[in-house]
Amino acid sequence: MRTGIYFCNCGTNISDLVDPEKVSESLRDTAGVGYFKTCQFLCSEQGKEFLEQELRDEKPDRVVVAACSPRDHEATFMRVMEQAGMNPYLMQMVNIREQIAWVTRDPERAVRKAALAIKAALLRVALHELLEKEEMEVSTSVLVIGAGPSGLKAALTLAEAGRKVILVEKTPVIGGLPVLYEELFPDMECGPCMLEPLMGEILHGDHAENIELMTMSELSEVAGYFGNFIVKIRRRPRFVDMGSCIGCGECVEACPAAGPNPFNCGMDQKKAVAFGFPGALPNVPYLDPGLCSRFSDGSDCTLCSAACPAGEGVVVYHDQETLVERQVGAIVLATGSALYDCAPLENLGYGRLRDVKTAHEFERMLASNGPSGGEIVTSSGEAPGSVLFVHCVGSLEDEHKPYCSGVCCQYAFKFNHLLESRLPEVEVHHLYREIVAPGKEAFSLYRAARDNPNTTFVRYDRLADLAVSGEHWRLQLRIAGGRAIDADLIVLCPAVVPGADAEGLGAMLDVSLDRFGFFEELHGRIDSASSKVRGVYLAGACQGPADIQRATNQAMAASGCILSQLVEGRKLRLDPLFAAVDPRRCSGCKVCVKLCPYRAVGFDSETGAACVNAVLCHGCGTCVAACPAGAIKANHFTGEMILAEIEGALQ
Amino acid sequence: MNGSSVALDGGHASAIVQEFEPRIIGFLCNWCSYAGADRAGLSQTPYPPNVNIIRVMCTGRIEPLFIMKAFEGGADGVIVLACHPGDCHYKEGNLRAAQRHALLARLLEQMGIERERCRFDYVSAGEGERYAQLITEMVESVKKRGPLSTAA
Repeated sequence: MRTGIYFCNCGTNISDLVDPEKVSESLRDTAGVGYFKTCQFLCSEQGKEFLEQELRDEKPDRVVVAACSPRDHEATFMRVMEQAGMNPYLMQMVNIREQIAWVTRDPERAVRKAALAIKAALLRVALHELLEKEEMEVSTSVLVIGAGPSGLKAALTLAEAGRKVILVEKTPVIGGLPVLYEELFPDMECGPCMLEPLMGEILHGDHAENIELMTMSELSEVAGYFGNFIVKIRRRPRFVDMGSCIGCGECVEACPAAGPNPFNCGMDQKKAVAFGFPGALPNVPYLDPGLCSRFSDGSDCTLCSAACPAGEGVVVYHDQETLVERQVGAIVLATGSALYDCAPLENLGYGRLRDVKTAHEFERMLASNGPSGGEIVTSSGEAPGSVLFVHCVGSLEDEHKPYCSGVCCQYAFKFNHLLESRLPEVEVHHLYREIVAPGKEAFSLYRAARDNPNTTFVRYDRLADLAVSGEHWRLQLRIAGGRAIDADLIVLCPAVVPGADAEGLGAMLDVSLDRFGFFEELHGRIDSASSKVRGVYLAGACQGPADIQRATNQAMAASGCILSQLVEGRKLRLDPLFAAVDPRRCSGCKVCVKLCPYRAVGFDSETGAACVNAVLCHGCGTCVAACPAGAIKANHFTGEMILAEIEGALQ
Repeated sequence: MNGSSVALDGGHASAIVQEFEPRIIGFLCNWCSYAGADRAGLSQTPYPPNVNIIRVMCTGRIEPLFIMKAFEGGADGVIVLACHPGDCHYKEGNLRAAQRHALLARLLEQMGIERERCRFDYVSAGEGERYAQLITEMVESVKKRGPLSTAA
């Protein structure tokens, strides 16, 4: 075996301290050294041309490059190897700049250390294998789960780029939470109006044909991996045909059955066949079998179908649950968040006192399509004389959620503004633990609240210090050891928490959850739109509390990742630095299966051996070190290679 | 141990100890500690040249056998530097490495290889100074212990 050593002087950065002649001299009798050559700047254009020509002329079996850190230029020199017609994995870099020349005071010892490191590399590189990047066909379609602002934005961005998108939404309507909010912070824009153009594009726009929208649907099964997922989607029956319904609402008028309206938090009633709320999209009612007497009492009522001007067959009583299978290359999780459950907080009176509401309920009270038609009223039927907002309900407290939910202060000050304009005499109290109003927009609503003479701010320490008493609209909130405040209406601002389905979806997709139960991002700062499972991306509040701006930005970031990583007509190139199991040596103990942080190691019951999915494997080698049978090999970091390197470094 | 007998050897000790330059193998992960070592280079923070580095993608790759073989091959010390807990590029390989190290250190002690000779610590990509300091401390403490004789 003949190995060529290229020593880069890096101008004088290396050669000033590590004398190449002395290094060459000390390698004179080392086995395997074919030749030793120096270059001024191996990474420069001339340097790379020199290296390429050299490799063509000398035709070494292996190459050692002694230069800067492999973190700087390993990829550069691997490309030169490829251009010279050599397998790029037959090279080993030795870091003699950052880790020797720049940190060693004594030149003699620097030479000795460099020579040892090169000897280690010589032994290692002799064992290097001809690894190849495998290529794989991929599907470029994308499954987006959740049709709130982030899911809609991701679906449209991808569809505009020509991608087929399957947009799955578990409720009968699209638009998420903000479509229920008529005025949004920071500038009082109307939520439905803001989302209408986006929803219009999704349903009827130029790229709508690229989007398959499935409402009342949920992911039920997933197999495969990045580039080739097979997903099964369970579609609950709507009992109204999306294709032929004209959205007139005659069936709703005709329906005799009614029950609590989930879109208004049960504060009013809805019909058994109904739109989610006035203006809900898609503009097609849905039938709730829990309320319809045909399903609950076995009646033969057909009033809704009879009232339909589009004729029979639009209301489909025999509609069934279906399971739809699709192939996709990537999945975007945009399932949003939920609000901290206030019912167990007995001291705050929620659920016990009718005039203690959550912020979400108050939003619906403010909405013109809400239970009170937009009128702010207490259970007395009168407008409140004073309203008290309790901030940080469950946020910033270790007993509940230690994090700040980030959006509550802003909507509370929005409420302040709305109350001020609708009920000019109303007194408003803000009970808070901390006030958060970051960025260039949030301060204005906060300042308006501060400047309002009818508004007071009271700081509290712990949620447990608060006690709400009273009856109906005559409430009093007492702070332990402090003051008591009277209010007719109390609005709780609960912590933003993970959605109820996060855990199930996480388990199904092998996507890990963080310690709060949100989907865990690949990297908190520079890769927060990707999960730790390759091919599964995160958008919006399912990854952490988010406002609409952040949610939609993240959706576009996730879309960008998908567009750059899954390209039509381009095969997926797999880095060969993955682990591989030798089934003959595997005893089937499954230690590796449990250990892999990426669920890349599976178990093949036919062979009785573990097997690594090369697409999912990140090449960390943790399973390799754990295998008691030595049955797993880490490509390019085999035990033999590392032991050879150790041996060389100790010569 | 060879080292302690040298240290006890009265007047000669200091001269012998000064001459002794330990050979140490350092295992660094590609993403944090290796980058931390590069950072020490960029800021030209000097440290003793006794440690030769083996780069692995993750400290989770380090088999206890590698460390035993290093000692068998003549190393006077081994230092494993991982990403700080929570920073691992591969989620938790560093924690596996920490668990394995804790077990191995006990085994090594039974074999007469003191804990100071097989150290485990954390260095982030930004901690060049810390890297230089840990390497310096390691070299100093192994120097004090003296050469490791595996012949016994």
